[in-house]
Amino acid sequence: MNGPLRRVALVGGGITPFGVRAATFPELIQEAGARGFGSLPNLAPEDVDSLFVGAAQPERLAFQSHVAPLAAELLGLTPTRVIQRTELACASGQSALRSAYAAIASGLSDLAVVLGVEKMNLPDMAEANTSMADVLDRPWDGVHGATAPPFFAMVAQRHMHEYGTTEEQLALVSEKNHRFANRNPTAQFQGKVFTREKLRGLPVVAPPLRLGDCSSMTDGAALAVLVEGSRAREFTDTPAWLVGSAQCSTFHNLAHAGSLSSWEGLRKAGQELYRSSGLGPKDVQVAELHDCFTISEIVEYEELGFCPKGEGGRFVEEGQSDLGGRVTVNPRGGLLGCGHPLGATGVAQAVEILGQLQGTAPSGRQVPGAAVALQHNLSGSANVHSLLLWRREN
Amino acid sequence: MTASTPSGQSSGAGGDAGTTLPRSDALASERPPRREEPPDPSPLTLLDFYPPQDPRWTRIAPFFLALKDGRFTTTRCTRDGTFHWPPAVACPKCHREELQWVDLPTHGRLYAFSEVRGGAPLGMEGGVPFVVGLVDLPGAPLRLFSRIVGRPYAELALGEPVRFETFPIRDGRLFYRFRAGGEPATR
Repeated sequence: MNGPLRRVALVGGGITPFGVRAATFPELIQEAGARGFGSLPNLAPEDVDSLFVGAAQPERLAFQSHVAPLAAELLGLTPTRVIQRTELACASGQSALRSAYAAIASGLSDLAVVLGVEKMNLPDMAEANTSMADVLDRPWDGVHGATAPPFFAMVAQRHMHEYGTTEEQLALVSEKNHRFANRNPTAQFQGKVFTREKLRGLPVVAPPLRLGDCSSMTDGAALAVLVEGSRAREFTDTPAWLVGSAQCSTFHNLAHAGSLSSWEGLRKAGQELYRSSGLGPKDVQVAELHDCFTISEIVEYEELGFCPKGEGGRFVEEGQSDLGGRVTVNPRGGLLGCGHPLGATGVAQAVEILGQLQGTAPSGRQVPGAAVALQHNLSGSANVHSLLLWRREN
Repeated sequence: MTASTPSGQSSGAGGDAGTTLPRSDALASERPPRREEPPDPSPLTLLDFYPPQDPRWTRIAPFFLALKDGRFTTTRCTRDGTFHWPPAVACPKCHREELQWVDLPTHGRLYAFSEVRGGAPLGMEGGVPFVVGLVDLPGAPLRLFSRIVGRPYAELALGEPVRFETFPIRDGRLFYRFRAGGEPATR
């Protein structure tokens, strides 16, 4: 770890059903509270000294700001140390986790609740799409009508052009993650079998990306509890220890994106993650990667060092990112299978990792003997990368 | 990159500063004057995608005045020579405010492109499908994202030549985009 920091452990959490939910923003928060506190019978609300809320666009999507105190009230909390919301678009949830980590590691907090939440489905989805366009540099990039799909479509176009990646390989990412999602009761896509043949028959959203290559606009929430290390076993015999973290921001306006097919920011963040934890890509058995689009997962294999640059397509083709492969990627079902409620995604990934490290994930999703897990979120146009590394023993 | 052309030379856009943007301290005490014309009738005032162009609301109004002359411009730092995109009022590299307006190339090539077939923002849903892309501007260290018109997606290729043009948006404002094939249709 960096310097004389206190150890931080994840001891429990819960996830609401993800999907097009008949539930409002505050109702999703209450559901997450029921599930999160329900997983921790030894935790009383008065033990919680801090609350971190990850939410990307509540002002636009739920017409509500100042959401941290709203969440505190709905969760029955009266934090006396830290209360704040973090916004980092698609990585808002991980940003909340890392802020809680920093607070606990530094001594500012001893026990923090991290809530991630987003309500994205509106009666008129053009309103929600408008908000997605302002994640980009709105007056210069979003103004041209672009949201995420055409940007990541250009990433796929360049990756195919430079490395020979195929649409079939993209579909394999989606097939794998949907198969895992079918075994996850909180996933948006339930009971639907997506074979690569079926995926390649779905409508094109932004060529070469089809519907099955894209994550969804999703409602959902997740809650996780982080504690100072010496208190971890008050709540569980098998905590997940946060042993490394990193972030890198390299640009905002798309004029400065550089090579679309290489994500320098992720490569740098990965190097810092491995440096800060003393571990390397070969130590990772489980990776919750930000598969907002199929091409994203392929580029992420490469930049995180799971395979050489340009060979991400082959990596999934060979089953190296599946159960039994080199590293199991997105056994939760990923953003592709679970949906992507922006603020909730990162917190849900952490809760999944806790289950994987505890060995309690359902059959067909559990990575045998998982001891080290990596969590990645990108945000915006992959201009920011956020990483956490979790470990079973410390 | 074409020769540096002070915006004040052709359009008076830079005011008496000529080649330099107004300094922030000169504007610090100014407040936007009361609007004299009737308010914009659009219900989407807070969802207006286009940046403000009027000098009452922005310090990069010269960019939009140049569009009216059919010119594509941006700022460059007079100290370290850095090109900015979008146009800036302070250099992000050296943080000085002495900037110069320069003309950008108007011909470029497609570095990457895709087509929006659904999920378009408000006011753009009716326009789908439409093409967007990243345009390399030879001679300038810039690769800009833009709407691409003139040819359907299926007829475009990497490296396709494209050309800057302006087009009218509402309220008499102009904006820019790039056109593939054919003759430019600058207003």
